[in-house]
Parts: sequence; C-alpha cells; structure tokens
Amino acid sequence: MFDIDEKDLVLEAKHVTRRFPTSSGRELVACNDINLKMYKGKTLGLVGESGCGKSSFMRFLVWLDRPSEGEIWFHGRDITKLRGEELRRERQYIQMVFQDPSTSFNPKMKVRDIVCEPLLNFRRIRSSEKDKRARELLEMVELPGEFADRYPHNMSGGQRQRVAIARALAMEPEIIVMDEATSALDVSVQETVIELITRLQREKQVTIGFICHNLGLIQSFAHQIAVMYLGNIVEVLPGENVDAVACHPYTRALIDSVFDTKMDFSKKIEPIKGEPPSPLDLPAGCPFADRCEKCMDICRTERPQLRALSPEHEIACHLTF
Amino acid sequence: MVLLNISDVDISYGKRLIVKNCNLTLEKGEICSIVGESGSGKTTVIRAVLGLLARGGKVTAGDIVYEGRSLLTLNDKEWRALRGHDISMIFQDSGAMMNQTRRTGDSYVEYIRTHESIFTKDAWAKGVEMLGRMHLPDPDRIMRSYPFQLSGGQRQRVGIAMGMTYQPRLLLADEPTSALDVTTQAQIVRQMLELRDEYGTSIIIVTHDIGVASYMADKLVVMKDGVIEDQGDRDHILHETDNAYTRKLMEAVPSLGGKRYV
Repeated sequence: MFDIDEKDLVLEAKHVTRRFPTSSGRELVACNDINLKMYKGKTLGLVGESGCGKSSFMRFLVWLDRPSEGEIWFHGRDITKLRGEELRRERQYIQMVFQDPSTSFNPKMKVRDIVCEPLLNFRRIRSSEKDKRARELLEMVELPGEFADRYPHNMSGGQRQRVAIARALAMEPEIIVMDEATSALDVSVQETVIELITRLQREKQVTIGFICHNLGLIQSFAHQIAVMYLGNIVEVLPGENVDAVACHPYTRALIDSVFDTKMDFSKKIEPIKGEPPSPLDLPAGCPFADRCEKCMDICRTERPQLRALSPEHEIACHLTF
Repeated sequence: MVLLNISDVDISYGKRLIVKNCNLTLEKGEICSIVGESGSGKTTVIRAVLGLLARGGKVTAGDIVYEGRSLLTLNDKEWRALRGHDISMIFQDSGAMMNQTRRTGDSYVEYIRTHESIFTKDAWAKGVEMLGRMHLPDPDRIMRSYPFQLSGGQRQRVGIAMGMTYQPRLLLADEPTSALDVTTQAQIVRQMLELRDEYGTSIIIVTHDIGVASYMADKLVVMKDGVIEDQGDRDHILHETDNAYTRKLMEAVPSLGGKRYV
C-alpha cells in the first residue's frame, strides 16, 4: 500500500488553470483548477478520455506550455515563472517520453547521439566518452550495446521506446513524464516495457507521471491515480484495488468500459451515454452532470470541489459515499 | 450453416508471401475475432475476403468460399453486387473513407444510389433512418455535417450505419474501436453485438485489443507472422490452449485487479 509521506513530496501543482483563446473569441478551458502532488519514487497515473486536459497538464511540467494561472512547486520554487538559464538548468531534472517513438527522434541521428545529446548539452560527459556511456544506457534498458550504431528507423517500436526511456533517464532526472508511452505498442511489448519502467523506478527512485487512457493498464503499476474529465480532476485514488475503491460515477463508467480477458463475458456492458461535451461551453455545475445517471439538482448549479474521503482518496462529487 | 470458408489460403504481395496456409470457417450468426500483433497479417486476411487487397496483393493458393461460391473468380460486376449487400466492411476511421469536402449525407446518398435505383430524396431519408437506428442523436444534423465536424464515435457509427444499410450477412470490421476513447469503444462494441442479435449478422473483427476481441467473440483466431497460430472457442483459447504463444499473449493483457508490478 502506498502511504503518503509529505517528506517525499517532489512536485506540487496548485490551482493550475489553462485557458486557450479561440478564434471565435470564446475560451477553451483545458485545465481547470488542478491540484496534484507527486511523490518520490512513485507513479502518478493520469487517466481520462481525449481532450480532458491530461496531456495539457503534463506539458506544464516540461515547459512545453505554461499555465494561465496557478503554481507548480518543484525544488522549492514555482517553476512556471522560470526563464532563461535558470529554466535551462532546471530542465535536466524533469524529462519526458512521448507516445510515438518514431516521431520523437531526429531520423538522421544515430542512437548513440540521441541518448548522449542531453549529456553533452549539459557537459556531463566529453565526446570521447560517448561510446561507453551510450552502451551503458542501452544495456540499462535491456538493449544490446551495438544498437548505438543504428538509426531509429532500423528498430521496432518497442526498441525505439526503450531508446526514448534511455534518453530520458540519461540525465538521471527526478521526474519522468510519460505521455501514453506504451499506447503505440503491442500488448506483449507493452508488458515488457512496463516491467522495465517499474524496475528502473525501483532502482533509481524516480517519480513518474504517466498519462494513459487505459485504466486496466495504469492500475497495474501506478501508486496513485488521478481521473480527469473535461479539464477537471474528478477523483484521486490509490492505484491498488481501483475497482473496489473507486466511487465517482465517471471513474465507475471507465471501469465498466474496460475489456479484459478475465472479465465476466456474460455480463452485458452498460456504457454511459453520449460523449464528453465541448470544453468550450463548460456547464456551470459538475462537468459530468449531463452523462451522469445519479445527477441531482445541485449537480447542475454548483461545481463539486475535491474533498477527502480518506488521506489518499479525494473525490469531486455531490453524492455521499 | 457455414457462411464463409477460407481454406489453405496463401496471400502474397509481389513475390513476398505474407499470409501462409490460412484456414478459417465462419458459421451464420457467428462472431470471430482475429487477434495478433502488428504485422501478423490479420488485416490482410479480411481484406482478401472482400477482394480489397492493396496493389500487388494476390491470393496465390487455396480458396475463399462464401455461401458455396468462390470469391476469387468474381468479375467487377459480381463484386459490386456482393459488396454492401452481402458483405460489407468497417474501417478503423470511417471518416477517412468519406470525401472530406462533401457532407456526410452526400456520401451516404451516393453509396445508397450506387447499390439501388432510388430517388435522391428517398435515399437521404433512408440514410437518416439508418443513422437513427444506430443510436445517433439528431441524424439530420449528422447528414448535413462534414466528416471532420463529427467526433470519432459519431464517424464510426456513420460507418457502421453505411455498412449495415442492406443488412449484409457478413460484416468485416478492421480495428473498429482502436481510434476511440474507452467509453465510446464500449458503446460501439455493444452496438456491434446488437447487430448480430437483431439481424443475425456474422462478424469478423480484426483487432489488437484482446479484451474487446474476447468479449465479442464466439471464436478466437490468433495470428503470428502470417500464420494462424491457434484458433478455437473463446474459452479454449483463453484457458485451455497448449499453445505457448497464445498463453504468453493472453497473459500480457492488462486486467483490472490483475497483476501489479509495484
């Protein structure tokens, strides 16, 4: 079981909001008042459907975007305000692995140069040490050292994703953000990549922020899961026993939508109706109200705030559990 | 009753043999799922059934027999009569098969009028009715929208509606839910199962999502490197099979309350 220990707090997001202006003069709220904490050596899984703002949020951590409001605390500073050299120095501690490994490398660079580029940028190694270091990194992700001479297109998807992990780990970061890092892979390859990630996490005590749309997958290795819907966090729960613990109607709907080989095949699936509304016209009340079967009057008028059911379980819902 | 019988089929692209010695039988009203990793040849098999192999693709040995008739010797006219009426197909992204510069309804009307002699107005009404039957809210608006104005789930439902217009006896589905969100995926899966219950449609679904495949299937086929590695009843494949590859593949499927790595 994962016990929250505030000593191990690595990163904290406070009231993070991101609004995008649209051409019609309206506002798209991608992230609405997000509060999340990440702990040392633990995995935070961020689950939700497309357009719910999970990637938007994780992109703030690696400065691919900045929030409109709110603070993200890391190393005792609000990192959203960093600029220039200070920002560059800080970047080495938070790294990212992208969904599609075939488009996240320069196709003209050899694997050796890909995994060593960040090390050279920060003068951690000399060019003469490149060969040795590249080999070590590749072997760490269970690839043969000879792969250093290959180009990305000469490898399979799973191998490329391992190179991406090696590149992210080269800097020995404190946090790695993985955006659907296994979604493009076949299940058997996905399994070995997850095994690799969890082994490396144990060895290096790195914090992982993992974006995923598959609740079945994320619950197999996350310590903490945050469920997002339409820019809002609706539930934060421990990664273990998700099925038993989850309360929010949307989380329940996600659980009911998981297909796996151990499910009861005679059970008729009861998917929730409709699709997420446009984030342009956020309803005043609960974002999930239109699709929720247990919707009450208060749900349409008042937005529920996250409240704690137990120290590691928070929920934003008017229902009582 | 056997609806489709694929026997000893080899499929090549140019000189490369892609699918080897494929044998598959589908009964009426049966749902068969073909699973396998990328590049295992699963899509090639169902494309061959509908005569839709990409350029250079050819069935080089064996026979594909639908209702006692070989599909390999059909001419263009016979294919046109068969496709849509007897066998139809749903693709991964149904929006991509429609003309992006024309409204969904215009594409649909063209589809209907290719298959039967009918006034445009009546064809439009028929389209609206089919979309309604596929639980699409406000079918009129969908008909008047361009494909890019629809969500992935809506586009997929339009694709299913088009495929089901003439209530074909065999529906081929190539990764029909892979591009969709999980809750939408559940809706589409349910809808495809309803097709079988309502119209008695036989379905071959090709997917890499083994969870979806197992939920839908009566029969599961596991492919690897162009060869059918294992096939049989769902329970047999999931629990009883001796095939090492199948077992490994099934164990790799993440499940709720299943294996935890931390």
